[in-house]
Amino acid sequence: MRIGAAKQTYAADAALFDTPTQRAWVAVTAVALVLFPFVASEYWLYLACLVAIHVISASGLNILTGYTGLVSLGQAAFMGVGAYTVAVLQTRWGVPALVSLPIAGVVALLCGVVVGLPSLRVKGLYLAIATIAAGVMAHFVFSHFTSLTGGSAGLSVKPANVFGLALDNSFRFYWLVIPLTAAALLGAANLLRTRIGRAFIAIRDRDISAEVLGIPLLRYKLLAFAISSFYAGVAGGLYALFFRAVTPETFPLVMSIFFLAAIIVGGLGSVLGSVLGAVFMTLVPEVLRLVMGWLPLSGNAVLYLSPVRTVVFGALIVLFLVFEPLGLAEVWRRVRRTFHLWPFRT
Amino acid sequence: MTTKRKFLTTAAAAAAASALPVAVRAQARPAAQEDIVLGASVPMTGVFAFAGIGIDAGIKDYLQILNEGGGIKGRKVRYVPEDTAYKVDQSMAAFKKITGQNKVNLYYADSTGFVKAVNPELDRMGSMIMTGASFAREISNAQRYPLQFMVGPDYSEMVGILLQYIAKAKPGAKVALVYSDTEFGKDPVEAARTDTRKLGLNLVQEIVTPPGSVDVSTEVIKLRRADPDYTIFHGYVSAPIPEFINQARAQGLKSQFMGTFWTMDNSTVMRMGANADGFMGVMPYRYYYDTEKAPMLERIRKMRPEYQSTAYMQGFLAAMLLTEAARRCLDAGNELNGKNLKTALSSIRNFDTGGIIGVPLSIKGNSIPIGRIYKADFKQQKMLPVSDWISLQ
Repeated sequence: MRIGAAKQTYAADAALFDTPTQRAWVAVTAVALVLFPFVASEYWLYLACLVAIHVISASGLNILTGYTGLVSLGQAAFMGVGAYTVAVLQTRWGVPALVSLPIAGVVALLCGVVVGLPSLRVKGLYLAIATIAAGVMAHFVFSHFTSLTGGSAGLSVKPANVFGLALDNSFRFYWLVIPLTAAALLGAANLLRTRIGRAFIAIRDRDISAEVLGIPLLRYKLLAFAISSFYAGVAGGLYALFFRAVTPETFPLVMSIFFLAAIIVGGLGSVLGSVLGAVFMTLVPEVLRLVMGWLPLSGNAVLYLSPVRTVVFGALIVLFLVFEPLGLAEVWRRVRRTFHLWPFRT
Repeated sequence: MTTKRKFLTTAAAAAAASALPVAVRAQARPAAQEDIVLGASVPMTGVFAFAGIGIDAGIKDYLQILNEGGGIKGRKVRYVPEDTAYKVDQSMAAFKKITGQNKVNLYYADSTGFVKAVNPELDRMGSMIMTGASFAREISNAQRYPLQFMVGPDYSEMVGILLQYIAKAKPGAKVALVYSDTEFGKDPVEAARTDTRKLGLNLVQEIVTPPGSVDVSTEVIKLRRADPDYTIFHGYVSAPIPEFINQARAQGLKSQFMGTFWTMDNSTVMRMGANADGFMGVMPYRYYYDTEKAPMLERIRKMRPEYQSTAYMQGFLAAMLLTEAARRCLDAGNELNGKNLKTALSSIRNFDTGGIIGVPLSIKGNSIPIGRIYKADFKQQKMLPVSDWISLQ
């Protein structure tokens, strides 16, 4: 806690951003996000949109895995459900993005509840394996329900149309994805301060004790799956509108592993961890690409350095896990503490 | 602060400090106005790296030859590749990066997924034409993919070429189709059904295998029951073809096994083992070691004395056709943009590839439906031609 930030009301104590400094930083971040598209190139805007989509999905997974302790490897499948929902609604009935995105979330939510049923009996690695089945089943449906999903060739999606404006480039798409990401993060942060969030944490810490305390495991475990899948569905819908093509191979198992890695690297059980993890996992390979492009090397540099880039990326993940198992969010908190207490040491 | 914390803090600070100037500098780097830029999303890591590395070398070598000969109307062609790890989002990032930093007119794409995803952007930009590693039938549709083309036949046409060969070699033959349960695998299935009927062949069995399947014993039993004269594999690079062939031979199946382009590299076929002796397949380009008259192959062999893969040939020819379109566009006095480049590309008639393809080629649509049947000779460790060039045009 920041020194000198005394609270005089319960409302002040419960506020999400509880100090003037925090509120100032939020304002600075908001202004930076608004200004960013006007100064960034198409490349950075593309990456910003991609990061934002990943942040939504990672936040959802963090609610399930980080807060509730239910390990899932089905996040990509739920994204796929969302993506196909948006694609089908648009190509068949011309449903606009602002309507199809919440529907995508709800359809994924329903799938998530079904997939979450085994969580009542199994947990840990066993649950992870059970959720892989979701991916297998989703892939089967995507590739064999040809009349609806276009089969293995998938579906092509038109740009999202918001109030008559086609979001056909990264600049325009940014204005859809960033507010949705902000809303998703705000929703996650608030959720975790409610009875529901506390129930999730109680289940994670010891589910039997949670049940003894009066937390119905069935309801809350399925609720965690539902919320997580809703986030994934919306992220998948955005993914479809962003890349404008959806095929059964767009959402492989490795994508679920990507999100699991993102929340572990970022910090389990932390909204900020979801953001930092998604940013790290998405941007570090690109930053490494830029660093290597900057080196004064010959024409074959890309060929020889590409494997190096992959190895460095892997090594960075391992290093963070070894040296900071609590993730980037903990590094961030430590840096903040250092500033709060400066010139004293933590 | 502990040592490890210091390490992490220093590492984070160093990363941030290095990333910023890099980003700024990368964006500020000007493109030489006189250069024509060929950008490429190439998989140099990941599952498709075996091909990406060859493609990269092929493009580089052709551009070296071209630039040493003075370029195109005095303008050099500059190659700007980025690794994609064969992931659509990274391919797209590479595309955005390359096109953001250079005035790109020619582009090489690495996968069907990326080609589909980038197509609307390509149409919107209207500044370049694109080819790549995908031979998906969908891309043959010039109305949906007006600024793209394939350096060879699409997958349906590849199977069509194989079926034409079969119909000629053994009229009325029994054919089986084994394909993976992927977009890649399923691509030519519909066309194969139609073509077998048209050619009077008998499609006796279709076997779909899950992606990455290893145990194929039940599928081999199905194949044995159907007892086809020819078995065409599609949608694989190697596995599970060797296992299929080994088990089929062990069960006494005499079927002639065949493959399509991505299976047909010399090293891939020779790794299948001795049971794959006589394995046949369709190849749109000559092999590195072909002995027929081919001045461009001789040039390649001088530049690179060691064997170069079929992916190399694909990259080489891709660069040749992309730059030929640019040459024709400039010769006609037109601005280099997507529409003009595609028009110039479509004007190619009876074009001599220097022997990379054994017949003069003409481009009429988005694909070049020409190929030849090659057969594996394990004694020589080579793929040898067993047919003339077959054109579906």
